[in-house]
Amino acid sequence: MRIEGIGREPEFSRYMDLKEGWLDRRIFSDAEIYEEELYRIFARSWLFVAHESQLPKAGDFLTTHMGEDAVIVARQPDGSIKVFLNSCPHRGNKVCFADAGNTRRFVCNYHGWAFDTAGELKGMHEEYCYDDNDIDRRKNGLKQVARVAGYKGLVFATFAEDGPSLDAWLGDFRWYLDMLLDNEEGGTELIGGCIKSVMNANWKFGVENFIGDAYHAGWTHDSGCRSMNNGQPFPPIDMENSYHASVNGHGWEFGTEGVGDLFLLGRPKVLEYYERIRPKMAQRLGEMRSKIFGSVASASIFPNVSFLPGISTFRQWQPKGPMEFELKTWVIVNKSMPDDIKNEITKGVMQTFGPGGTFEMDDGENWSNCTTVNRGVVTRHERLHYRCGISREIEHDTLPGIVYRGQYNDANQRGFYQRWLDMMEADKLEAMPDRPESRLSGVGETRNLPGLFAL
Amino acid sequence: MTQNATLERPQTGQGASLELTHALTQTVYREARMLDDENYADWVDMLADDLLYHMPGIETRYRRDKTDQITDLTRMAYYNDNLTEIKKRLSRLETGTAWSEDPATRYTHIITNVEVELTEKSGEYRVYSNFYAYRNRNEREEDSLIGNRVDIWREAESAFQLVTRRIILKHNVLLSKNLNIFL
Ligand code: FES
Ligand SMILES: [Fe+2]
Repeated sequence: MRIEGIGREPEFSRYMDLKEGWLDRRIFSDAEIYEEELYRIFARSWLFVAHESQLPKAGDFLTTHMGEDAVIVARQPDGSIKVFLNSCPHRGNKVCFADAGNTRRFVCNYHGWAFDTAGELKGMHEEYCYDDNDIDRRKNGLKQVARVAGYKGLVFATFAEDGPSLDAWLGDFRWYLDMLLDNEEGGTELIGGCIKSVMNANWKFGVENFIGDAYHAGWTHDSGCRSMNNGQPFPPIDMENSYHASVNGHGWEFGTEGVGDLFLLGRPKVLEYYERIRPKMAQRLGEMRSKIFGSVASASIFPNVSFLPGISTFRQWQPKGPMEFELKTWVIVNKSMPDDIKNEITKGVMQTFGPGGTFEMDDGENWSNCTTVNRGVVTRHERLHYRCGISREIEHDTLPGIVYRGQYNDANQRGFYQRWLDMMEADKLEAMPDRPESRLSGVGETRNLPGLFAL
Repeated sequence: MTQNATLERPQTGQGASLELTHALTQTVYREARMLDDENYADWVDMLADDLLYHMPGIETRYRRDKTDQITDLTRMAYYNDNLTEIKKRLSRLETGTAWSEDPATRYTHIITNVEVELTEKSGEYRVYSNFYAYRNRNEREEDSLIGNRVDIWREAESAFQLVTRRIILKHNVLLSKNLNIFL
């Protein structure tokens, strides 16, 4: 789809110098930049819209947002998933008000136009009032997104007709995603329900925190860590054997000790469970990934999904203006886990990373103050420091992506803002470079790759 | 599980005596004062060992949708805690590094519409109430949490103890960045 609304000249490079390692704070508060983000990033990216497990049966639907555009995600009788605007083509009224459910029709409250779960116009109240050539039903369904695609249970949609496939968009990051989505036979599911909360903070602060900010954890979350673990402090960081990996603006920061995040969850049974399945995981994903999983780690998928592999919170930062986002949180578990482990994980996640969680409470406070302080006109022109670890880039035999040594680092954040800049400046998505060049393009299944890429 | 009284109102739900109603009303008021004062040591003393403190996350769904969003304890919840878990949460405040709690949040809990019923179990009482919890932080941050509660309180030696609480918040999107509060 041509995004007609793109207004400004692409001159966003003046807001950052990632070689030097600084950002201009206006990208976190300026209303015009925010509008451009909606056009250039949210209307053109592959965006997470659902997990397959939320829509098990035909007619199951949920409502969500792509950027600020309200959409319905619905399971079709043939098992496929369609995504369309939650807005009636007649006068624009919203057609679905539930967060989720099962239905055969979406019927608009205003004049009674009725759409099936594929979004097609199937009937109208007092239909006789339309003469023969007044309306072409086939052209007056709910507006479909351009493309829908999935990766191991996650469903993504995009308004962009051209541009990379989802596989190319995720690129070599698929190798990392397999640790979350494919570490056990059967894949994953989300626990029922979704908790939503609002923060007076720019959406990028949530994403960049999860993409690479291991640095804040030991300080911000000292109290959270101690409360979950009988007063014990944060597990030590090994700067030699921990990394940042960035691919196309996605990022995963991680140790290789295997237990840090599992420890932070504060549920010994869950730790035991993963220790039990770890040898199998090593067979499945290779030695390296089985050591990464469960370590102190956090990750984001560009532009607005984050998760903690091991702690199992899965979340999306939905933009609601330059100084507000809505945080949607779920719990992600392996389908094949016994119920009591699923339950332990769910309780653990809500006690750490729910709105009342002992970790979450200190995060939101930070992001909102980082944002709202930019109301000051002098303040908002000040630069922010993103230089940590800037000379620690390495080539790694096993790890794909742009890799930096030491998980206390701003490298993934710089990678995220590089992709942000690429998208904000590119008039055509095809013009955007892969960062780094893919080592796995053409590889269909990344699970079976233990990770020897020095091919 | 134990055979504690249930939150679901039985056919025979019977009003309690004036004296008992008064005593339990005073108990929930006193509890609110403990929470306003951040007097968590005394608050925890009011909780039973077999506590279930549950505040489900409730999605907006159509009336015809019969998904059990209230009593299904496997779903997402703001709180789904036993006593040990409540104490773990509270121990965060003892660490001295709970940065977002200093300066302190200012709380007021307003508890109304208290009704007391006898239950199928002697010595355990069902208490309905509504709450309005107001928070104010730093310069001008404020939010309001409003909803209903239904509790089971048990008569112990010298006081009543909270055995079960279900909190139904009226928000769909929690209009607040966190929930550093008990309701
Ligand atoms: S606006 Fe939907 S039927 Fe008129
Ligand atoms: Fe954090």
